[in-house]
Amino acid sequence: MNGTPRLLNRILIGILGLKLLAIGVLLALLATVPAVGTWWHGWSGAAWSAMQGAFDRTRFPGRSESWLWIVAAAVLVLLIVLMIAWVAQQGKGRVSVLVADDDDGDVPGDVRIGGMLAEQALRSALAERTDLMGSAVWTYEVKGTPGLRVRIEPRQGVAPHALADDVGRLVEALDAVTGKRTPVLLHIASGTRARFTRAERVR
Amino acid sequence: MNRHTADPVSNDFSDSPAGYSAPELSPDAGEFRPDAPRMSRILHRETHSSRAGIAALAAILVIGFCVYALLESGVHAVGQPAWLIDPQTAAERITALPQGIPPLLLGAAGAVVAMVGLFFFLNAILPGRRARHVLRNARVAVVVDDEVIAASLARRARVAANVTQEQVMVVVSQNLVVVNVRPTSGIPIRSELIRAAVEDELESMDLTPRPEVRVNLAETGVIGA
Repeated sequence: MNGTPRLLNRILIGILGLKLLAIGVLLALLATVPAVGTWWHGWSGAAWSAMQGAFDRTRFPGRSESWLWIVAAAVLVLLIVLMIAWVAQQGKGRVSVLVADDDDGDVPGDVRIGGMLAEQALRSALAERTDLMGSAVWTYEVKGTPGLRVRIEPRQGVAPHALADDVGRLVEALDAVTGKRTPVLLHIASGTRARFTRAERVR
Repeated sequence: MNRHTADPVSNDFSDSPAGYSAPELSPDAGEFRPDAPRMSRILHRETHSSRAGIAALAAILVIGFCVYALLESGVHAVGQPAWLIDPQTAAERITALPQGIPPLLLGAAGAVVAMVGLFFFLNAILPGRRARHVLRNARVAVVVDDEVIAASLARRARVAANVTQEQVMVVVSQNLVVVNVRPTSGIPIRSELIRAAVEDELESMDLTPRPEVRVNLAETGVIGA
């Protein structure tokens, strides 16, 4: 439900995995197959001398250092910034406004209902139930529309469809209050807490 | 095993011991259709891994490598002695690679790096399905962890077989529910009864994909349960 860039994740993880795989296979082949060793000597030696030539040609006038070092450092810093930006993309999409709409009445202005209203209403309604270990509600934006994400942790043995029906009724009551049909995702989860406490035997 | 079995129990939800009713589609269910594509997209995202953790791990790995390379090249640029290894020396050692390191160590290092690479690569390629099912409901989009389904089915099977909690074990996977029951010694159990009860419960859950039911009765019984 959140805005994690899934395709980007797959592509970047795949690229990293392929590179590591290639390096690992090359190292293992170097250790075991002598023919690969001779090929590697020729190829990497040529590449290294080409790089040295490039370093020699790019020296600062009158000094022994090359400015390629600065370029390399800039590339590394850019890579670090990109990686941090990538991590920051994970799990984004939480918003604070549930409904933002024009008011049909004579008063100018529009109506905004904060997500906290729905979150607290649902949470307090679910807190009374003895067959739940815990519940949590968040507001997320999905493709421009705010929606609710409800996570409940039932005790062992509670029928999930009955819980879904009850939450559905709560959400319908909420719809009547906000005047808008909010998309809702209900996640009936099992947690470690539910596993180690008594099962729900009687309802 | 057929999920369309026309047994009398599976169509009668009212005799469920806990008194639950089946999720009925409310008359305004059609109203849900306009945002159905969005909801199915949400449900697909919820039943598949986002790989956020792996992505963070990969990013940390790359950042660590970059920071180290930055440190060494910075140290080299200002003419200070290297911290671990000078970039120039490192490059020379890499070009001379089969020499200068025991082949066993080199091979082992290569294998470890290849395994890490394979781990990331497979995580990117495989579908990454989570152990969850979609439950159909008139108003809300519902995903259920398989453990919750298993616990619910185990309770139902336990009541049907009249055994204790410890004698029933249910394993739920994508397309199969395996119910393992150890009967009490001397008290016979009919597996059709258990199957009917479990299928009835599954029917009222209305899961997607709908798993098949397999009931295994243990050969040996439990004494004094």
